[in-house]
Amino acid sequence: MSGRAGHALSLQGLSKRYGSFVAVQDASLEVGSGRFLTLLGPSGSGKTTILMMIAGFVEPSEGRVLLDGRDITAVPPERREFGMVFQGYALFPHMTVAENVAFPLRVRRLGRAERDARVRATLDLVQLDQFADRRPSQLSGGQQQRVALARALVFDPALLLLDEPLSALDKKLRAELQDELKALHRRVGRTFINVTHDQEEALSLSDEIAILNAGRLVQVGAPSALYERPATRFVAGFLGRSNFVEGEAERDAGGIVLRRGGTRVLGVGEAPPGPALLSLRPEKITVLAEGEGEENVVEGRIAAWSYLGAGYAITVATADLGELKVHLPAWRIPLVPAEGMPVRLGWPRGAAVAVAEDPA
Amino acid sequence: MGGHRPGWLSAWVSWATVLYLLLPITIILPVSLTDQRFLSLPYEALSLQHYARLLTTPAWTDAIGQSALIASASTLVAVVLGTACAIGCWRLSRRSTELVRALMLLPIIIPSIAYAVGLYRYFARLGLLDSFTGVVVAHGVTGIPYVVITVSTALAAFDPRLESAARGMGATLAQTLRWVILPRIMPGIVSGAIFAFIHSWDELVVVLFIASRRVFTLPRKIWDGINENLDPAMAAVAVLLVGMTVLLLLLDLALRRQRAD
Ligand SMILES: Nc1ncnc2c1ncn2[C@@H]1O[C@H](COP(=O)(O)OP(=O)(O)O)[C@@H](O)[C@H]1O
Ligand SMILES: [Mg+2]
Repeated sequence: MSGRAGHALSLQGLSKRYGSFVAVQDASLEVGSGRFLTLLGPSGSGKTTILMMIAGFVEPSEGRVLLDGRDITAVPPERREFGMVFQGYALFPHMTVAENVAFPLRVRRLGRAERDARVRATLDLVQLDQFADRRPSQLSGGQQQRVALARALVFDPALLLLDEPLSALDKKLRAELQDELKALHRRVGRTFINVTHDQEEALSLSDEIAILNAGRLVQVGAPSALYERPATRFVAGFLGRSNFVEGEAERDAGGIVLRRGGTRVLGVGEAPPGPALLSLRPEKITVLAEGEGEENVVEGRIAAWSYLGAGYAITVATADLGELKVHLPAWRIPLVPAEGMPVRLGWPRGAAVAVAEDPA
Repeated sequence: MGGHRPGWLSAWVSWATVLYLLLPITIILPVSLTDQRFLSLPYEALSLQHYARLLTTPAWTDAIGQSALIASASTLVAVVLGTACAIGCWRLSRRSTELVRALMLLPIIIPSIAYAVGLYRYFARLGLLDSFTGVVVAHGVTGIPYVVITVSTALAAFDPRLESAARGMGATLAQTLRWVILPRIMPGIVSGAIFAFIHSWDELVVVLFIASRRVFTLPRKIWDGINENLDPAMAAVAVLLVGMTVLLLLLDLALRRQRAD
């Protein structure tokens, strides 16, 4: 690959309507040069539609797409010079692996010698040099996926767009290819835009995640930022798991205090006085030993538990906060859980984050 | 207890139908091998004399040549127009294109005699009567439905993402057509070509109306021969006609089988 840097993409107020149905509403997004951005959302949330508007296959009802500041909204897909890995790969079944990868070069009328050299180099890059003369039907799912990647990268595209590139693979292979994809992104230094509904994939691959719900971009940010400080109930629940505590908020110096029944929960973030919501990750709650203290302490009884090998998943029924889910590494649990057993739960203030309710 | 299997009746009906369909062929084959000089079953021995005569008499070889030429040319016409129409309808794929596709099937639906009468009147005005071009146009146009059907079927199985993929990689419409769409639907085109060829190869009614002296296809020659004399060479030529058709159908079958693997 040449030393050309990646390109920056910017979406400004993109909307797509099908009749009266709004598939995407007012999506604005900046993707920096060389970044790996993932559009994450449940099925039907508009991920593919956004990607297809970036690629030029779907015409936006409103808004603009800019590449390095240049408006490309009206440029047809064949002139955008973006690499694309389609859902299901869309390899040409009547061509060999090498012919598939050579296709974008053939379209650009590159000389035979240079074409062969680039195809070979790209097949090396995805470790498929052994399979150049096979047909796609003679390859495994993981190998097909790599052919699709090679074909999308061979012509040095300005952007690489990936629509659920790993979703057709089994779990183990998916984890493997996830690592490969990440390494590939480092090596080629291009801007990647990936679409997935798999939150683990999004967390492990991306520099940035844009979370979509029902056609709207809910929150954009680095994976750890989204995980630690989700903005809404949807984000907290979709990206990992979460307990939610509803109550009356009061402001205090360290963040907010949420009152529910006789219990006061200390949390971080902003919420106007009145009804508010806290998100509390199960792995941030601990079971306290005798005499141990925490910024937040709540008593309850174990309602259910299960052993997960690496730890325990415990559901604790509390008087004021309802049922709380707790994930504990096996080495950190001071007792052997049993149903009905009284426990004291504790968590630091920073574990409880104020989140907004999602707009209906 | 000797009860009949389900489907007993339908099995018999099927066999009777097959027999009925095969009967004319089972008669013309022995007749074509007769050792006599008139249309009859062989008396004493089987003979290939009528086949030999067929291939050495200029009147017959001429007709065979003309038929082959007309069938080839009209196949070309049907394949080009039929494929273009099927691809056009598929790409636009609106309600109006459904109508176009249905219209394209008219030549199959309309009785060929009605079609022939209509053609006769038009061709008279255009000066196409009794001309090679006239017959090629007529057979080509009536061959279009076969191509539209087989190519549309092939296109229905074509994954539209392949077209998007090609465009996304920078391919123009022409390049996408040449390198992606056509190779994928080639089996359908070949099937359509085979049927269009067969259609022209054994077509008689239209030829009877629009050709007289100069254009003499094989079926027409047989027709005239039957009316004028009872030459066993006609049985031989009929076997040839059937043989060619069967050969082409087997070719189509073989190609399909090969693709299925
Ligand atoms: N061509 C179309 N016509 C009508 N509705 C569509 C069309 N394409 C997508 N949609 C709808 O838009 C919504 C978003 O679709 P999509 O972007 O494919 O979701 P995702 O990729 O997140 O699963 C879905 O409800 C889908 O049914
Ligand atoms: Mg999708």
